Amino acid sequence: MNTGHADTHLDLEDLIAEAAGQPIGDRAREHLGSCEQCQLEANRWNLVAGGVRGLAAAAPETAQPVRPRRTGQRVLAGPWRRAMVVAGSAAAALVLLVGLGAVTGYVHISRNSTQTSLTAVTGCTRLDQAEGTLEQVNGTSLVIKTASGQPVTVTTTASTFVNMSGPLLSDITDGLTVDVRGSTSNGTIAAAIITVGQPFSAVNPARFVPVQGTVSDASPAGFTLVTSTGTRVPVTTSGDTLVIVLHASLGQLPAGAAIFAVGQAGPDGTLSARAVTAIRQLPTGGRIFVSSRSCSPSSIAAAIALGG
Amino acid sequence: MNDPHGDAGAATFTATDDGGCDDAALLGRISRGDEDAMAAFYREHGRVVLAQVLLVTGERVLAEEIVQDTMLAVWRGADSFRGESSVRSWVIAIARRQTRDRLRGRRLRVVDDTFLAEQPSSGPGPEVTALDRAELAEVRNAIRELAPAHREALGLVFGSGLSLPEVAGVLEIPVGTVKSRLSAARTALSRVLTEKGQNR
Repeated sequence: MNTGHADTHLDLEDLIAEAAGQPIGDRAREHLGSCEQCQLEANRWNLVAGGVRGLAAAAPETAQPVRPRRTGQRVLAGPWRRAMVVAGSAAAALVLLVGLGAVTGYVHISRNSTQTSLTAVTGCTRLDQAEGTLEQVNGTSLVIKTASGQPVTVTTTASTFVNMSGPLLSDITDGLTVDVRGSTSNGTIAAAIITVGQPFSAVNPARFVPVQGTVSDASPAGFTLVTSTGTRVPVTTSGDTLVIVLHASLGQLPAGAAIFAVGQAGPDGTLSARAVTAIRQLPTGGRIFVSSRSCSPSSIAAAIALGG
Repeated sequence: MNDPHGDAGAATFTATDDGGCDDAALLGRISRGDEDAMAAFYREHGRVVLAQVLLVTGERVLAEEIVQDTMLAVWRGADSFRGESSVRSWVIAIARRQTRDRLRGRRLRVVDDTFLAEQPSSGPGPEVTALDRAELAEVRNAIRELAPAHREALGLVFGSGLSLPEVAGVLEIPVGTVKSRLSAARTALSRVLTEKGQNR
């Protein structure tokens, strides 16, 4: 998109950025939504990217504990042995990837579900996490019940990132700006993921094309996506469609949803949340596993939004 | 993160959006011999470095040894990080040098990027359509058969998540060459898929 015109085909940089889940310009995205040739190219690069990610995912979670080297001269000392053992133990506790499951990051925000209340976030000093089901919302606070039955109060502020996801088709209403990803056929998108709001740099499943626009004619079976150029794209939805509401209000969070919050623990055992995610209909026995590139608020928010 | 003795986590939410200061702070602590910081650094970068090295070498034991060497180099040389690149690309560049050193002596067959870049790329040829028909599992297997330089470039972009300029920095080549190498990698991948399809 060197010229910036919406009718110019995407250049290699845009295509690679798109496949890599990095942001591309609005015009490029708009063009991608309406250009079959660019969609094919994007799909090819997405397939390549998916292959690489598949190989990366197949790599060991961590290196094995250090063994003596052939030379016998450079056996790693304390910190490395320790790091690898710690990381290996943490990996063993992970059970399930929720959502897209393809977020590749390195700060693992997860824990064993038998813990009682707040626990430290691995890799982020002074950050804690809480996990449970939503009991009630009191103003700007949430009360969640942990797996052990213990209530935990999670407080929020205006800067707290709150998002929710699940089969939330009823939250797709006319006038919303959404990003739709899914397979295309005869000009219709079968939506796999609908993100309400501007997605973070996205994990884009192979063969899926993201299209942004405004919802019109919403019904239980789908809606019409109106792009910024006025193009009307039919979108079909189903019970398998994952809806991600990037910026939700506390009042929107469905009762009984699985809640995962990251923030700072107060002396009274409450959690002052930096980010909260609510997942409706978390599969039985499911776990929330989040990997963030760093401990920064934006990284945590992007990771906690399930790759949206 | 102005306080070099400050707690890395405490400052994370007042930092800028790039998140890079956390890594830089970790390196600062590592340079002062903080083993916990080293462990955190490993947790943050170890797996992606391992995946990248494994993609290039194709040998798990060797890849793990290279990662250990890389992390040892970080432990010893954390204070050499100047902040001129992201920590991620910095550590991957170290891993790349370690890989090169370990593979030195092995003759690596590298596709000539210049030659491949000059090949016609407009319009879907039979190799492109092979990619259109391919399944993800087939692509994964085909990637394993690419030349190391191609696996490396693809891994840096799609596995390690580096931007094209960052990849250029790691590979010490111009961005334009990164693009041509990626195009060449995809062309080679399509050829592998075509050959496999013909052999079925």
